[in-house]
Amino acid sequence: MNRRKFLRTLSYGLLVANGISPKGLHASHPREKDRSVQFVFAQVKYRGGDWNPRPLSIGPFMEELMRRTSIEASTSRHAVSLTDPNLFSYPFLYISGKYEFDPFSAEEIAVLRRFLYYGGSLLADDALGQPGYGFDKSLRREMKKVFPEKEFKRIPSSHAAMRSYYLLKRIGGRRMISPYLEGIAVGNTTPLIYCHNDLGGAWERDQLGSWVYPCTPGGEQQRKDAFHVGINLILYAMTGNYKEDLIHAPFIRKRLQR
Amino acid sequence: MDKLTFIGGLPSWGLILIALGTFALLVYQFVGLREHLSLRQSALLVSLRGSVYALLILFLTHPVFVEERVTQLRRPLVLLLDTSESMGFPASQQANGGKSRIEILKEKLLGGNDPLIQRLARDYDLRLYQFNTTLQPVGLESVGDLTAHGKGTRLLEALGQVGRDSPSTAGIILLSDGIANGTQSLETFSSLPIPVFTVSIGEVKGFTDLRIANLRVPEFAFRGREIKMDFTIEAYGLEGKEVPLYFTRGRNLISTRSITIDRDPFKEQISLTYTPKEIGPHSFSLKLPSQAGEQITQNNQKDFKIDVQRDKIRVLSLSGSPSWNYRFLRLALKQDPFIDLISFVFLRTPTDAVDVPENQLSLIPFPIDEILQELENFDLIIFDNFSHRSYFNATYLEKIRDFVQEGGGFAMLGGIRSFDSGGYFDSPLNGLLAVELDGKGGYQMNTNLHTSLASAGKAHPVTRIFPDPRANEEAWKQIPSLTTFNRVVGPKGEVLLWAARDNASRGWPLLTVKKFGKGRTLALLSDDLWRWNFIAVGEQESSQVHQRLIRQAVRWLTQESLFEQVQIISMEGSKSPGEQVEFLVRVLKDDFTPAPQGAIQLRVTGPDGEQIPLEVVPSTTEGEYTAVFTPTQEGTYELAAEGELSGKNLGKNKKNFVVSFSHAEIEDGRPRVDLLTRIAEISQGYSIPVSQWSDKSWREIITKLKSRSPSEIVERRENPLWSSPWILALILLLLGFEWWQRRSWGLI
Repeated sequence: MNRRKFLRTLSYGLLVANGISPKGLHASHPREKDRSVQFVFAQVKYRGGDWNPRPLSIGPFMEELMRRTSIEASTSRHAVSLTDPNLFSYPFLYISGKYEFDPFSAEEIAVLRRFLYYGGSLLADDALGQPGYGFDKSLRREMKKVFPEKEFKRIPSSHAAMRSYYLLKRIGGRRMISPYLEGIAVGNTTPLIYCHNDLGGAWERDQLGSWVYPCTPGGEQQRKDAFHVGINLILYAMTGNYKEDLIHAPFIRKRLQR
Repeated sequence: MDKLTFIGGLPSWGLILIALGTFALLVYQFVGLREHLSLRQSALLVSLRGSVYALLILFLTHPVFVEERVTQLRRPLVLLLDTSESMGFPASQQANGGKSRIEILKEKLLGGNDPLIQRLARDYDLRLYQFNTTLQPVGLESVGDLTAHGKGTRLLEALGQVGRDSPSTAGIILLSDGIANGTQSLETFSSLPIPVFTVSIGEVKGFTDLRIANLRVPEFAFRGREIKMDFTIEAYGLEGKEVPLYFTRGRNLISTRSITIDRDPFKEQISLTYTPKEIGPHSFSLKLPSQAGEQITQNNQKDFKIDVQRDKIRVLSLSGSPSWNYRFLRLALKQDPFIDLISFVFLRTPTDAVDVPENQLSLIPFPIDEILQELENFDLIIFDNFSHRSYFNATYLEKIRDFVQEGGGFAMLGGIRSFDSGGYFDSPLNGLLAVELDGKGGYQMNTNLHTSLASAGKAHPVTRIFPDPRANEEAWKQIPSLTTFNRVVGPKGEVLLWAARDNASRGWPLLTVKKFGKGRTLALLSDDLWRWNFIAVGEQESSQVHQRLIRQAVRWLTQESLFEQVQIISMEGSKSPGEQVEFLVRVLKDDFTPAPQGAIQLRVTGPDGEQIPLEVVPSTTEGEYTAVFTPTQEGTYELAAEGELSGKNLGKNKKNFVVSFSHAEIEDGRPRVDLLTRIAEISQGYSIPVSQWSDKSWREIITKLKSRSPSEIVERRENPLWSSPWILALILLLLGFEWWQRRSWGLI
């Protein structure tokens, strides 16, 4: 056990002793009660591997989302399997992991394909950061079944997702494995976006409020970029190609030139 | 006077033989008589007998008295006088002092101490006609009152008709400038049965004119799409001039262009473009200033109208925050090729903290003032979970209310920022909402509501997703449940959908519609409608209900004609003055089934503002009605249709139509001497310019006519000599006298 883990365990114990549930820190957020929640963060549960490598990442990320935007979000994450009857109640899904996972069933492939073709969005986040291994390997394998005729392609800086809130120039994360996002397009939208840099690892905060992982090599700016990426991708999911509407073009062009 | 003629009988040698024989007989008789009588007596008797024989021999030559009576014919002569509008143009630039062509025509016919027309009437069987679009007889006394009024010149048609109706001895004198714009062409005249002598009025040499011709513009265009207008500029006698061309709309100058006339005659094709920004009739003008010496100025300007329609429905949507409702609403609208969506989503509230400089955000300032200035360019405004409190003051809301009052559409979609929750109870928009607010209504979440179709919604175009009523009701029953809705006091308009909790007998209005002034509004009291799309997809059902609902709601709110209860289907007819136009109108009841007779009123408003009610007749298709109308003048007319049933107004509709002559009489005022010459050639007449017209010309015409057919009839009667009783009496007298002398001299 290292010092970080020891301190965390001690903290948990003290909190529990005082009757405070670690989860409750997030669940009893004053903004949660009687709020009209427009966004619920839904994470895909799959078989094998490690579907939840960053269990404490969603709360901080949702808080950041609410702090910066007009979206009212639930600070609790909902875990769903691809065969969950309520899956389509969550038009935005997040899938992450470190290790290889079991192949999806045919039903799960069909559901995911329907989900992504008819308006849903999926953010894939590699927590391991080793292209060709672990999560990356399994994800690419499964997405090939969902989109047999398509390939992952680099998302250019002019993409609507890169401009949906922040004008992104960098992709953040816990580690800078790739300076760009990848995605698979359907028509004129990109329902599947893949980040190699472990966004969840950058978002994760422990119960005492400290960041669980440092972001390397860019430090706190890189963490900030990770939040920006996450916010942008949620806004992209909820507004589509809104920022490609002509009304925005001159403003964006002017700002990018500065 | 009678003439004695010998018309035949025996040949000459026969007559000589008989004469000789007769002479011999007389000599024999003389010799015989000399034995008894004196020379004198014998000579007398032989003379008497000889006279009789001479008369009889004369009869052998068949003598007749020929009575010839010469009757002078009054030859039929047709005078065709052109009274079309072009005859009002100046005849030439020169000597005639600006006289019009028709004045020259009347001068030639009526001038002088013994007017030509009087002489013609005396000597000929004169038939006078005036022609323009029709051929009409004219009295002699009316020639002086002729005017250049006809809107077209059916010259060849008039010629053809007169040619058919006239005898072969007739002649036609045609006085015209030769401008013919009927439907017949000269090629159809391989020959003319009677000669035509054409008198051309108007000179080509020295003809000066600048005109806009061959204008081709679309009858209607689409807002925001470029319109192309093609036309030709023609000029005669103006080489070396530079003239400006003005293109205007109303009093506004759109563009100007300089035209250099570098040759004579001059012709140049021009194209202009214009992109309309508003819907409705647009009146344009193309104008060339009059030039010095120009004989015709009416064709320097062309006025025309283009009816601008929307090709796309322009929708402005304001969303209080990003939401799944916005996402799927945007998807439904963006995928419709007939909808142009301008949306603003408030990604951030004033209280949200900014962690980067502004230039790293893609957020744009909300252009509230520009939007309100451009309101009339939108067809529909949607407030999607949008509270006015932070962005709109009362003035802005009043503008939106006025927009709807004047015919715009408005929809409020539910959410925590809508209806009472959005502070609309005490706002200027309260009156136009299709629901009643009391300021106390709230936003409910985490509920489970089922949707049912109201009776009004069963046939309403917004909620009639499938044409078959049963399939439609079934589709609505299968719709996924909703988890949020806005509570209100009740509906103010028609309820199309109800929402109720499971097993609850009472429900709440979920979708209501209402008419406000000339516009329409819709209230959709939930922000959970996206579930009808995505959840349906998840259940392997179709997302059609949601998408069609959105698109049909947009169309109904913007009063798309196919969603109207009163529809003007067609206007058939050539749309020329004097020609009937037939209208076909469809009327539907509130349930969009055909409306029975008596429910429709049609009225035409003419260019001068006169309103003419039309008699409506049901057509063979139920719910459809026809009416006819005959316009009397050129201009833009409006057909207005209004439907009513049992005192309730079903709706109105209007459509403009343009009435114009197809003849374009004053387009090109150049005299067509070539046409008149050709007509004269093929009819074996001849052509002469009016400036060269004189009595000599007239005599030449008579000579020509006479050469074709005589101008007198000779009546010939033959009276045989022996039919005369006097000759017989003479013969009897001679024979009697001879007998008396013979008796007196004792021979008998």
